[in-house]
Amino acid sequence: MAVATKQLQTKELTISMGPQHPATHGVLRLVLDLDGETVVKCTPYVGYLHRGVEKLAENRTYLSAIPLTDRLDYISSMANNVGYCLAVERLFGIEAPERAKYIRTIVFEMARISSHILWLATHALDIGAMTVFLYSFREREWLLDLFEMLCGARLTTSYPRIGGVRNDVSQEFLDSLYRFTEEFPRRIEEYATLIDQNRIWLKRTKGIGVISAEEAINWGLTGPTLRGSGVPYDVRKYAPYDAYDKVEFDVPVGKNGDVYDRYRCRMEELRQSNRIIRQCIKKLPVGPVMTPDAPKFTLPSKDRILKEMEAMIHHFVLITKGPIAAPAGEIYSAVEAPKGELGFYLVSDGTGRPYRMRVRAPSFVHASVLPRLCEGSLVADVIANIGTIDIVLGECDR
Amino acid sequence: MRPEDIAGLIKERFPAEVRDIREFRRQVSVIVRKGRIKEIMRYLHETPELCFDYLEDLCGVDYLGKKEPRFEVVYHLYSMKHRHAIRIKAEVPEVDCSIDSVVEVWKGANWHERECYDMFGIKFNGHPDMRRILMPEDWEGHPLRKDYPLKSDLGEVEWKGFKEVIELAEKNKVYEIR
Amino acid sequence: MTTGSSHYDLDRLGVIFRGSPRQADFVIIAGTVTKKMAPIVRRVYDQMPEPRYVISMGSCACSGGIFDTYSTVQGVDTFLPVDVYVPGCPPRPEALMEGIIKLQERIRKEHFKWSRWR
Repeated sequence: MAVATKQLQTKELTISMGPQHPATHGVLRLVLDLDGETVVKCTPYVGYLHRGVEKLAENRTYLSAIPLTDRLDYISSMANNVGYCLAVERLFGIEAPERAKYIRTIVFEMARISSHILWLATHALDIGAMTVFLYSFREREWLLDLFEMLCGARLTTSYPRIGGVRNDVSQEFLDSLYRFTEEFPRRIEEYATLIDQNRIWLKRTKGIGVISAEEAINWGLTGPTLRGSGVPYDVRKYAPYDAYDKVEFDVPVGKNGDVYDRYRCRMEELRQSNRIIRQCIKKLPVGPVMTPDAPKFTLPSKDRILKEMEAMIHHFVLITKGPIAAPAGEIYSAVEAPKGELGFYLVSDGTGRPYRMRVRAPSFVHASVLPRLCEGSLVADVIANIGTIDIVLGECDR
Repeated sequence: MRPEDIAGLIKERFPAEVRDIREFRRQVSVIVRKGRIKEIMRYLHETPELCFDYLEDLCGVDYLGKKEPRFEVVYHLYSMKHRHAIRIKAEVPEVDCSIDSVVEVWKGANWHERECYDMFGIKFNGHPDMRRILMPEDWEGHPLRKDYPLKSDLGEVEWKGFKEVIELAEKNKVYEIR
Repeated sequence: MTTGSSHYDLDRLGVIFRGSPRQADFVIIAGTVTKKMAPIVRRVYDQMPEPRYVISMGSCACSGGIFDTYSTVQGVDTFLPVDVYVPGCPPRPEALMEGIIKLQERIRKEHFKWSRWR
C-alpha cells in the first residue's frame, strides 16, 4: 500500500518571551526565533528596571549612597554594601578594624547562602521540582530573621559603613547563627536528595548551556558561571579582602561547563560558606567595630557627639556635605558577590560626593551571554539557561 | 608583573599614543589617545607576558567643564594567568564622539559598549549592534551626561511611549467602575 | 515570593498564583516601574477581565520611592487605578498579607459595583 506524504510548509516563528513572564526572573525580555522547537536566534532586551542608580549616586554623599547599593542585587544586599564600602575605604586609604572585618565576612557569607538558596529554589521551580522551593525557603527565613535581629531589616540592610559596620553583633545573634551552621549541612543534603539523582533533573541539566573555559573568560563571565567551566577564578582567593585570607575554604570548580556543573558548584559553595561562617564565629576578635583613627571619614559614636565639640562638627559635616577631605583620584575594587565579580569604579574629585560611581554588575555581563548559550537548543533549555546564569534584573539594569 | 612595568611596556611599544601614566593607591592608569586603541588592546591581549584575557569593565566618564577632551572611555583589564591588572583610559572629544570597538578582541565588550553609547552618546565604530540597551529604543538624550536632568518630571521632552500610556489611561477612565 | 512559601503561606487566604493575566482576579505590582516598563504593565492590566483589582506593593510602586530619576514612574497610580497600597521597602510578608486581607474586606463591602447581583 503506497502511503502518500504531503510536504508540510514550515516557517520560522518569532515569539517574545515578554517582560512579564513567570519563568524569567524579573523583567527580562527574550525575542526567540524558533524553527519548530529549536531556537535559531535569541535576542535579550534589558533595561525594564533601569532606575538611574549611577546618576543618583552622583548627587548623594558617599554615606547616603549605601542604601542605593542595597537595591542593586536586592537578594544579597549585604554583599553589595560590603563591596561599596570596601571601594570607598580603598579610595580614602582607611581600613576597618579586625572585628568589623570578621563581621563583614560573616554577613557576606550569609548573603551568599541566602542568594544561592533563592537561586536553587527558583531554578528548580522553573525546571519543575517545586518541593525544593518550599523546603529551602525555610532556611532563608532563618537567615532573614538573623539579619533583622542584627540591623532591623530583612532584605535591604545597609549595615556595613565606611570604616566598619554600624553596630556590634549581640551574643544572641552569634548563638543562633552557630546553631544554623550546625543544622545547615543536613538541610543541604535534604535538598540535594530531592534533585541530585533525579532522572529528569539530570536529563534537563547535563550537556545544556555548555561553554568552554577560554570562551567564558573572553565573554567576561565570573563567579560560579565561570567556575563551572573549570576556571578557578575567585576574587576571594586572587585578591583577598576582609577576613578571607585568615579563614580556610575551598573554591569548587566544575569540568564540563554545563548547567549541571554550575549547579554542583553552587551547592558546594553553600557548604563552604557554612564552613567560613563557623570559623569566623570561633575566631571573632574583640575590639571596636568602626575605625577610630579616621575622624574625617567615619561617623563618631553617639556618646562622643553629645560630649565633644570636635566630634559634633565632624558628624555635622559628614552628614551634610560628605567627607570633604576625600582625596581626588579613582579606584576600581571588586568583591566576589554570589552572582559573580561585583566591581565598583569610583572617581572622586575632592568633594564629599562621588563624581562618578560605576557598578560593574555580573548579571549584566551574564545576560549578554544568553544568545551564545541558547542558540541551537530547545525552548525548554532556554529556561534552564536563564536559571543557570543566575541573573537579578535589579543588578543588570541598575 | 608590577603595574608600573606594564605601563612602561605600553609606553615603549606605543610612544605616540600614550599621553600620561598616573598612579593612585597602587593602581596605575595609562591615558592614551583614541586613534589606535584597537591595536593597543590586541597587543595587550596577545602578548604572552601580558596576556590580558579578561576585560573586567568598560565604562565612560563625563568630565564636562573639568577637562578637555570631555569624555573618557575606561577599560579595566585583568590577566587570569599572571594575576595582574591595568586600567587604560582613552580620551574621546565631544565633537568627534566615536572610538573603535574592541568587540573582536573580547566578546564581553559588546553590551558594555552599547551601554556606554546609551548613557553617553559615544559611538563605537565596527560594533555589530549599535543601539540602545537600557533606555527605550527611541529615547532622546544621553542620561549620564552631566548636563542631563536627574528628576523624573521631564516636561516637554518626555518619552513618547510614556506619554501614550498616560493618554491611554485617561481615555480608559471612562470605563472604570468606581 | 516569601509570602507565597510555606512560612507565611498565602494559600490559606485563598490566593493562588496564576501564570496568565487572563485568569487572574487581582494583580500585585511589585517593585519599581520604569517608563520603559509602563506600557507593558498597562497592557497586562488591560488583559485582565472584570472584576479586577490592583495592589501596589512597595514604596517604588506606590510613589517612586527613593528613585526620583529620569527613567522611573513616580507611582503606578499615574496610569493605573489602584485599590490597595502596601508601603515598605521592601514590605514585610505580613504587610503584604494585611494588604490582601484589606482588599478582601473592601471586596466584601462592595455594593452593585461589577453587576446587578451583589
